[in-house]
Amino acid sequence: MSIREAQAQVVTAAKRRSLFKARPGDWTVRIGSIAVFFLIWEFLAPGWNPLIIRPPTAIAKAFVELVESGELQTALVISMRSFVAGLAIAIVIGVFLGVATGRWRFAYNAFDPLVSAFYSVPSVALIPLIGFIFKFQGDAPRVAAVALFCVFPVLINTQQGVRNVDRGLLEVARAFNTSERRLWTDVILPSSLPYMLAGIRLAIGRGLIGMIVAEFFIGLVGLGYLIIQYGNVFRIDRMFVPVIVVAALGIVFMGLVQWIESRVAPWLRREQ
Amino acid sequence: MIERIVVERATKQYGAVSVFQDLDLSIRDGETVCILGPSGCGKTTLLRTMHGLITLDSGRILVDGTPVSRPRHNVAMVFQHFGLMPWKRVTENVAYGVELAGLPPEQVKERVRRFIAMVGLEGFERHYPYQLSGGMQQRVGLARALSLEPDVLLMDEPFGSLDAQTREILQDELLRIYQRGSSDAAGRKAPPAMVFITHSIEESIALGDRIVVLSSRPATIREVLTVDIPRPRTVASVIAHPRFVELRDRCWRLLREKAA
Repeated sequence: MSIREAQAQVVTAAKRRSLFKARPGDWTVRIGSIAVFFLIWEFLAPGWNPLIIRPPTAIAKAFVELVESGELQTALVISMRSFVAGLAIAIVIGVFLGVATGRWRFAYNAFDPLVSAFYSVPSVALIPLIGFIFKFQGDAPRVAAVALFCVFPVLINTQQGVRNVDRGLLEVARAFNTSERRLWTDVILPSSLPYMLAGIRLAIGRGLIGMIVAEFFIGLVGLGYLIIQYGNVFRIDRMFVPVIVVAALGIVFMGLVQWIESRVAPWLRREQ
Repeated sequence: MIERIVVERATKQYGAVSVFQDLDLSIRDGETVCILGPSGCGKTTLLRTMHGLITLDSGRILVDGTPVSRPRHNVAMVFQHFGLMPWKRVTENVAYGVELAGLPPEQVKERVRRFIAMVGLEGFERHYPYQLSGGMQQRVGLARALSLEPDVLLMDEPFGSLDAQTREILQDELLRIYQRGSSDAAGRKAPPAMVFITHSIEESIALGDRIVVLSSRPATIREVLTVDIPRPRTVASVIAHPRFVELRDRCWRLLREKAA
């Protein structure tokens, strides 16, 4: 199944990244490249139609305006509420179904066709349906949209993790007369943990898309609505502010997962 | 001397392929029996059937007079690829077996401390396996099995994946631990019966009281040799012993005969 292969590749890609050992100069280059990008943007922007491109300084000014008026904070809180809730629901469902389908043939046969079918439908296409189901009211439809976008990477990666448990270690556990409960806590869950976390990293990216799209079409609130609202009145400087905030959110959440990974799975540092 | 393990007409097949056939063997208490045979001859499968990890097709294996059907806490195994949990520290890996055996926490602690000291890993208690060399990882595997103070120790080519020098150090270590246990006046448990799988002739002579030489598939017993080299031994003292060369040649001939 090609979806599965793609997922597995992402997992290995995540591991390969650590081939590059952290060096002191890394951050200089990283921050430097962003600075250069903004400088070029700043100098090129005045030559364009201001209805299309505004320089970073104008966006920074708009950022301050939106913070002073409180618009940005309000939108951020609303967006984060649905994002965090949706992601949490997706993690619970994804891990639960991933573990079940990874371990028990019955669960696999029962759920796999449905999972494949739902995963094959572009999640965006289901957004209007979610709106109708939840009657376009409150946080619920947007939470559901985020959960829908997030659940599949978590589910599929967890399933792969549970299936890829080292058979040698399963035998060791059996040789030491493990109980079923200890088999889970000693072997299956720790060995699938990195897969789950890789799934959650993927889910964060998808979840932010789900959040924004839901705010475009269902809620008309939050960061997504700010984008639409200021785009419609050609306030490109203000429109860019939520876009940059969403990008920053993605970076922060991914970093958070990476930090959690280094705390709960320190043995992974052994990868090259 | 009581017979700790008795193998009676043991036969195992995978589909149409016969792994071993009509094996008869008995291992006495406190005795080390090395099972020597070419790669893929079914030594490892035999060892796993002794622990109840694999079931026999016919015949039976008795440990302490009862037929083996599943792993038990008085039998411990050391694995070729160490079999350590990468997410457990040294202490947690060593504690694994005794915890599962249901020992109370204070006793688990005491055993872990004592056996980490016995294999010479003091100071590495908080390390993860990836921070240890292969030899040290297998010391952890050894401590995990020994801390159960088992009646039977099953060794599945435990030093097979180590380099020659580390292998010899660990062979000496095993001899030392084993011999100290047997001469311990403090009333500590007598050494377990040990079944040691290897394809190294030198290793089987150094460690074994007897050597069971198997033929290639389907494995049958070619011959059982008694290693009449007195203990306490070290690898160096065994190699220097006049019987060593005779035993090695005998093993060589037995292994080569069936290859031809």
